[in-house]
Amino acid sequence: MVSRSEVLSLCRAMLRAGRQYPHYNLREYTKRRTLDGFRMNNTDQSKVNEAYAEAKAQLVVLERSVKFHSLYPPKTKNIMEVKLQ
Amino acid sequence: MALRNAVLRQLRVPVQTLGMNQSQIGFLGSIRSFSSNDDHLSREAVVDRVLDVVKSFPKVDPSKVTPEVHFQNDLGLDSLDTVEIVMAIEEEFKLEIPDKEADKIDSCTLAIEYVYNHPMSS
Repeated sequence: MVSRSEVLSLCRAMLRAGRQYPHYNLREYTKRRTLDGFRMNNTDQSKVNEAYAEAKAQLVVLERSVKFHSLYPPKTKNIMEVKLQ
Repeated sequence: MALRNAVLRQLRVPVQTLGMNQSQIGFLGSIRSFSSNDDHLSREAVVDRVLDVVKSFPKVDPSKVTPEVHFQNDLGLDSLDTVEIVMAIEEEFKLEIPDKEADKIDSCTLAIEYVYNHPMSS
């Protein structure tokens, strides 16, 4: 049985990994998707262990994906990152 | 020559004297001169920025946010929202909060204390 703190640690690790993307859209997507995913699986207590194992695998994929995407960062700044003047 | 001077007069940036008048000295009393920790944030700045982060969270009602508010009890957020808010605070102050500390941050007071006491906040 995974404990609450382990689940929160995993969530935090995924959010931290997602923050490292150079691309605005990937960053926002991973943030939104991890939180939605964790929230969806919150409700069903019997499936928590499976969901935890899946999320751990996804974290590995995420780390690798961040490294790949960092090899080719976007050349121009995204409009959403430009501060409003 | 006259044209050049006229143009330069338009382009020259006016010098602003930053004199300190009496009314400002009370406000600036929190800045300690000869202190080695001059670039540390002032407490009011930390409070303002933390409250801004919490208020800009979409699930939060900005009118309820005070420096003492508790995320789960007062604002009705769940633990994942707390994780998200702590992440947003990390980004705002360019910190890396370890998991053990982040688990304890449950309210605005604790967040403000942590950021204020952290030597690397900026």
